[in-house]
Order: sequence, then structure tokens, then C-alpha cells
Amino acid sequence: MIITSKKTSEEILESVSGADTLYIVSCGSCASKCGTGDQKAVSELKEFLEKNGKTVLGNIELDSACDMRLAKKDLLKNENFLKADAVITLSCGAGSQSIAKVSEKIIIPALNSEYVGSTERIGVYKKFCGICGECILIETQGICPRTRCPKSLVNGPCGGFVNGKCETDQTKDCTWVLIYEKLKKNGKLDKFLNQYIPPKQNKEY
Amino acid sequence: MKFKEKLKTDKFLITAELFPPKGTDVSSFLNRAAGLKSLDAVNVTDNQRASMRAGSLAMSRLLLEAGIEPVMQLAARDKNRIALQSELLSANVLGIENVLIISGDHPNAGEYAGTKTVYDLDTLQLIKTARLLETGADLAGKKLHGAPKFCVGAVVNPSAEPNDLQALMFEKKAAAGAEFFQTQTIFDAQDFKTFFDKVKRLKIKVLPGITLIKSVKFMQFLQKLPGVNIPQKIQARINSASDPLAEGIKICSETIKDLRSFADGVHIMAIGMEEYIPEIIKGSEETGIRN
Ligand code: SF4
Ligand code: SF4
Repeated sequence: MIITSKKTSEEILESVSGADTLYIVSCGSCASKCGTGDQKAVSELKEFLEKNGKTVLGNIELDSACDMRLAKKDLLKNENFLKADAVITLSCGAGSQSIAKVSEKIIIPALNSEYVGSTERIGVYKKFCGICGECILIETQGICPRTRCPKSLVNGPCGGFVNGKCETDQTKDCTWVLIYEKLKKNGKLDKFLNQYIPPKQNKEY
Repeated sequence: MKFKEKLKTDKFLITAELFPPKGTDVSSFLNRAAGLKSLDAVNVTDNQRASMRAGSLAMSRLLLEAGIEPVMQLAARDKNRIALQSELLSANVLGIENVLIISGDHPNAGEYAGTKTVYDLDTLQLIKTARLLETGADLAGKKLHGAPKFCVGAVVNPSAEPNDLQALMFEKKAAAGAEFFQTQTIFDAQDFKTFFDKVKRLKIKVLPGITLIKSVKFMQFLQKLPGVNIPQKIQARINSASDPLAEGIKICSETIKDLRSFADGVHIMAIGMEEYIPEIIKGSEETGIRN
């Protein structure tokens, strides 16, 4: 899921400074699951805004804020949504932009989108995939060096690992050492030696 | 004889490393270079430790003008494939043939921790790219008007554990087109030999890196760098020395002396104390230096 984090109260106050009435849209998918857009987060935000002199006209949870069809269906006939000076979103950037696309409202995101996370347990997420569009996991023993090696080295490690830990952070395993251990275990070192992954075709735009 | 040709001989090759100035005043750089004319080549670092400095290309050219054969280091970290290829062509246009392809220290511990890292190409891809340019074509498949000629080097870390993984990378980089290797710092010639024995069948010159420990404080700084592990024996010698710099010089000389018996050469990283390099080399040629 998309991992989001809360913006600071100062940042939010600054963004809402021009609006008196607000409406809150939260997302029932990722943001809700990672605790930044659930009911508790909505109540806290509401309370905070009211304490700072704003009127919150209401709130709604969309099943997935990033689905423009839902945003259209659930929001465009909602009087309070339409009436509010601005709309605060508790969703990822894709969700906020879907809402911005289907309505004419000023959208104020209250969250930062961080990465696609795999959930280890509640609150502990791992950044395993950078959704690169050219998956090489088949070549790298199911461990993604594009995302998990800070240098995105796809053909093997740098010289910086120390006792299996990454040069950038001695508390983290070197991704290539992890891949190497699996290659070794699975008898694939020869394959690795002769394997070459060419430069990626970036298709970001 | 050029460095590229010397790689084909049995000569014990000695290279060193200079870092460009942070700013435009090149006088200290040139002063430090002046004593290195007898070396086989001198590397110029590329924004090492992800700090921002004058470019390796410009400073390599200054070395060339001073009669020193440069090795331009090129980090994959800061440039995309357009800029990397362009830099390689530019180097050749300015008469620089030796390039050392590195990934580059990650910025997260340096003065530009928040910068956007590029890593568009990885080291293997960049080595292959240099070799591709020599064929008269670029990564986009376009024809070049005038093809460059390089002597391509790469890096391995003989002390990184698991060591076999570095040996594999040595082989991969060699297959991709690396003609010589310089290594991250080693502190013990015999430890290096263990690694060297794993790769010497490939018959590619390896110049192990040694670092001049100039003071106790510097040793403590070094010890904190990724991949650096200074043996207790050496730490004790520096700690108890009345003149740590002299002791550091002696240690370097002894290491080179040991290396002379089996290695292809040495790469000396004196980190700002390059004026002592001639003394280090001289010490390594003397007999009976061991006490
Ligand atoms: S290579 Fe890595 S970033 Fe790309 S799709 Fe596969 S797991 Fe995701
Ligand atoms: S130490 Fe390993 S994970 Fe860290 S940057 Fe180098 S290769 Fe990547």
C-alpha cells in the first residue's frame, strides 16, 4: 500500500490560513490502513482545525480516493463539500489529485506520500518496490536492488558493505549481500557472473 | 610509455590520488601534484565523499598540462547517461584517456545529504558504456563523429566481507571491460594477498590502495568510514608513536615493500599529505627497513 505520513500542524495551519470553512475527505484504503487517514485521524484533524477557529462543515471517507469515479459519485452532490472554502484530504497524492481533477475545489493535502510499503506488522512498513516499470526480481532472487540498494545498483554491489551491512547505514543489511546469499544457496552464482542487466528505459513522463 | 601500455608490462606500478579544491584556487592542488611526476599516473577524485568540489575533468587536464598522466575518476552517482557519456567524450577531447569508473560514496553521510542521487547507470553499465563509445556509437545507438579511446579502470574492496562477492564483482567488471583495478584502502599486504589470489588468474592489474595515517585523530576519522578496518597492530603503532606521521610513512613504506614481492603495484592515498609520497616510495625501496 501507499505509506503516508502526517504533515506538521504548522504546515496545515499555514495552508488553511485563507479558508474559514473546511471539508475533510479521507481515504478508506491505504491512508486509513496505515493510520494517517482513519476515523481517529479525521477526528483529531477536525478538533485541531476547530480549536484554531475553523468551521469544519463535515467529512466523508471515500473507499479509494484515487478512484476518480468514486470521487465524482460521492462528492459532487455533497452540499457541504461544495460549500466549503477548501477541502482537506487525508489520502495519498494520487487521491488528492483525483479529487482535484473531478471538482473545482481548492485541495489541501494533510499527508505526505512516502513510498509503496509492504506491511511487516502494524506501523512497520518496508520499502521493497519502487514501482519502476521494469521488474528484475526474477534475476535478483526476489530482492529488489533498484529500491533496496541506496545506489540502485542492479548488476552487483559497491565496495562499501561492511560485514554484510550497507555503507549508508550500518544497521541495514546490504541488499546485494542478501541477494548473494540466496544466489549461493540456490546454486546461481555462475548465472549471476554471466548476467548483465542493461540500463533501464525510464518512462516516468 | 603511457599508463595503458605500462599495464601490459611487469613494472610495479605506483599511482596516487589528489582531490580537487573546494573553490577555484588550484595552487595547493598543483603544489601537491608537483612531487608526483615520477608516478605512473595520478587519480583525480570526483566529488569524493559526496562533497562538492571542482570537477575531476578540469583538474585532470591541469595534471596533464603539468606533465602528469591523470586518471579521471567518474562517479555514477551524480550524472545521468547523457552527462556521463558527454563527460567521457569531453575527457578524451582534452587528452584524458584513463578513467576510473566508480559508483561514488552515497551522499547520505556527507554535506549534501538531501540531494537527489542519480545512479541512472550502475558501475557495470558505465564501464560497458565507455567501451561502447569506443566503437563509435552511443547508448542511443547514434554514430559518433570521432570515437574516443580509453583506459578503463574499476574499483573493488578487497577487505569487504563477504570477500567472495567482491571477487565475483572483480570478474564481472573485468568482463565488462575494466583494464585495471585500484582498490579501497588495505592496511595489510598479506590480507590483500588472500583476495589477490582469488582474482590473479584473470591477469588484470590490481593496484591495492594504501592510506597514509598522518595522526591519531586522522586514524580515528578513518576508522569511522565505511569499509575501513585498521588492524590493532597498526593502531597500536600509531597510538604509541612519538611522531605519528613518521610512523604512518614508515607503515606505508613497509606495506609497499611487502606488496612489491607479489602485487602489480600500489595506489597511494595520502589525503592532503602528498608531499610525503616520494619519501614513502623511497622507504619501500630500501632494504632492512623492518625492525
Ligand atoms: S524491479 Fe524493483 S522497483 Fe521495479 S517493479 Fe520490480 S520490485 Fe518494483
Ligand atoms: S553497501 Fe550494498 S546496499 Fe549499500 S549501497 Fe553498496 S551495494 Fe547498495
